Amino acid sequence: MAAISIRELTKVYATGVRALDGLDLEVLDGEFVVLVGPSGCGKTTALRMVAGLERITSGTVSFGDRVVNDVSPRHRDVAMVFQNYALYPHLSVYQNIGFALENKKIEKAERDRQIRIAAATLGLGDLLGRKPDQLSGGQRQRVAMGRAIVRSPSVFLMDEPLSNLDAKLRVQMRSEVLRVHRSIGAATLYVTHDQTEAMTMGDRVAVLQGGVLQQYDTPRALYDRPANVFVATFIGSPSMNLYEAGLSTDGTAGTTPTVVLGSQRLPLPPPVAARVAAYQGRKVIVGVRPEDLAVSGAGASGLGAPGVSAAGASWTGASAAGAPGLVADVRLVEVLGSEQHVYFSVDATPAASAPGAAAAADESAQEGILLGGAPNGVARLDPGSGVRPGGRVTFAVNPARLYFFDPDTGRAISLLSDWPLGLAGERRSKRAASCN
Amino acid sequence: MTASTLSTRPPDADPAQARPAESRRERRKREQLEERDAVIPVELYGLKRGTVTVLTACCVLFAIFTLVPIAWIIFNSTKTQANIFGTFGFWFARPFEFFHNFRMLFENVDDDGTYIDWFGNTALYAVLGGVGATALSAFAGYGFARFEFRGSKVLFYIVIGSLLVPIGAITLPLYLVYSKAHLINSIWGMILPSLVAPVGVYLMRTYIRLSVPRELLDAARLDGASEMRIFFRIALPLMVPGLMTVLLLSVVGVWNNYFLPLIIFSNNNLFPLTVGMGLWSQHATTSGDQNLYPLIVMGGLVTIAPLIILFLILQRYWRGGLLLGSIAN
Repeated sequence: MAAISIRELTKVYATGVRALDGLDLEVLDGEFVVLVGPSGCGKTTALRMVAGLERITSGTVSFGDRVVNDVSPRHRDVAMVFQNYALYPHLSVYQNIGFALENKKIEKAERDRQIRIAAATLGLGDLLGRKPDQLSGGQRQRVAMGRAIVRSPSVFLMDEPLSNLDAKLRVQMRSEVLRVHRSIGAATLYVTHDQTEAMTMGDRVAVLQGGVLQQYDTPRALYDRPANVFVATFIGSPSMNLYEAGLSTDGTAGTTPTVVLGSQRLPLPPPVAARVAAYQGRKVIVGVRPEDLAVSGAGASGLGAPGVSAAGASWTGASAAGAPGLVADVRLVEVLGSEQHVYFSVDATPAASAPGAAAAADESAQEGILLGGAPNGVARLDPGSGVRPGGRVTFAVNPARLYFFDPDTGRAISLLSDWPLGLAGERRSKRAASCN
Repeated sequence: MTASTLSTRPPDADPAQARPAESRRERRKREQLEERDAVIPVELYGLKRGTVTVLTACCVLFAIFTLVPIAWIIFNSTKTQANIFGTFGFWFARPFEFFHNFRMLFENVDDDGTYIDWFGNTALYAVLGGVGATALSAFAGYGFARFEFRGSKVLFYIVIGSLLVPIGAITLPLYLVYSKAHLINSIWGMILPSLVAPVGVYLMRTYIRLSVPRELLDAARLDGASEMRIFFRIALPLMVPGLMTVLLLSVVGVWNNYFLPLIIFSNNNLFPLTVGMGLWSQHATTSGDQNLYPLIVMGGLVTIAPLIILFLILQRYWRGGLLLGSIAN
């Protein structure tokens, strides 16, 4: 049985703003579920309704099999960590943590024991006598956690608890939060706008956009099988490259179906072609992840690389690596040490992606000096790729790693789940492991 | 509010380590030094030295204008009636009668009543009225600031609107209502109206909106606290500086109230200082047989002294930063 069941949860404000629209969500016992989405997507509203701090317009929230819509927050047995901690400034750390136990009229000795256990769990043992203004940001965050865990709640809510910490501490606290979660085992609903947090922390992740649930699945599935354009761009950093393209059979390669991308063509092998058969001869949105692009064999950089005609850049049937290629002009290279982000432009129209996707896109594209026109794509390459701004490059593309979306609905056309992972896939999972 | 303080230290530096447990004196010293550091030289405001001198001179003139009556009352509290009228007002004169004048306050003059009784009455009215008004302002301000309920705006505007009604306009109805309610010559007739403090409600509402964050109340609710407990345990401590302001204002308001006691009291024993001294002052001009003027001057000095002391006591509550560390921003 689910610890938290949310059914058709809707919030309409008096102003008519529909903050949340028919949210369905289940959190199992001991599960860590992340609600993620751009700001204003309704995730905090949803959390506050679960906590009882916001009135529910329609739908139900249940804990176990008990509908709690009309239960006051103080009787819900819910613990919540607030974005700005909301510590009681005039009370010591000890009193802050113990406040909930005081309210439950727990006897003093027992209270003291529980406070000390919670404090020890979070490494706050030496700070019990301090007031919040004598604590650093990380310590305050820990006190906020302590205040929540001391009650051994059945439901644990967190509203962007790490967003006020600096980058380094945030990474550190991520594992801390997970460790605490495992030790208390309560069903947890965690709200964040940071897709990295969602991917690294969640057992399951619910992606919200405009008050509507886009997809609710494991991080891996969100990444591999995004349900629509929004999820595709929101999950993954840098964001997936999306282009308007056509699917045709009457290309140069005879009966082989091809993706027509601007003036470039990419033949699809039969298994891939079968999945998009229904869109034959129609327009699609084609997506490729930055980490699925690799510089193909010979002539990695520089103008006039062998095998590439300078005038009409085209998908080549087979590059030196044996995979089809995508010719692009490099505009900007960001060296991150362990990897490079290569911003390029191809002669294709970037898809006017789902609203909000632009906000989710990597802002770093706007930084730095751009050479000749705005880039419309990004690749994540090894630092030794030798790619330089101003050069022309051919990216090897594994057709199996392409994503296809319906241009009208934005929905995914086919799923990648059972496709064999290509070279890029292996590379990606290696990366995913190293960046966690 | 906290941003400037926080940004001066590295994000996760331990602030308490840099600032070990300090005594109250050390803390005051540090705060003084920090204040001095925060002073920005006038040049950085883009002001010329000359402008600053002129502005400072204006301030000094205004300060003198304000302080002159207080200086006068101090000098003249040491004089005999003859000297009050016969010597320079801004210096001492022989004989030095300060203590004699002070002693006279404890005597029944002209059968009007004793100053010290009136002082006691005033203190009683001010304490009960002031504390009561502060408490009610805290309740009402908290309600208006932190709860949404139907009609809250209208009610609040009514409270504020009551400020616009001059007391003179309601004297007659007030008297009639009081006589029906048997509040004439009753201390409750003085105290009950003093409990109503629209300014206090307004001030507390504003103060609570700034200093008692909604999240804190939400957190307390989720922590299982009842609304009563949230008010007394969480909100009230954070409201203290605002409460002290309201307390001072309402105590001063009751202390200096002349008109209300004038119309409701006919019994000299219930008079507050304002009405009692007004009576003296009338007798001083009409009869003139007693040496009443030194008493009035001394009485005036003793009347303002408690308010000055109260202000000095309460001013330590006007320290910001009570919320420091609670809310990250």
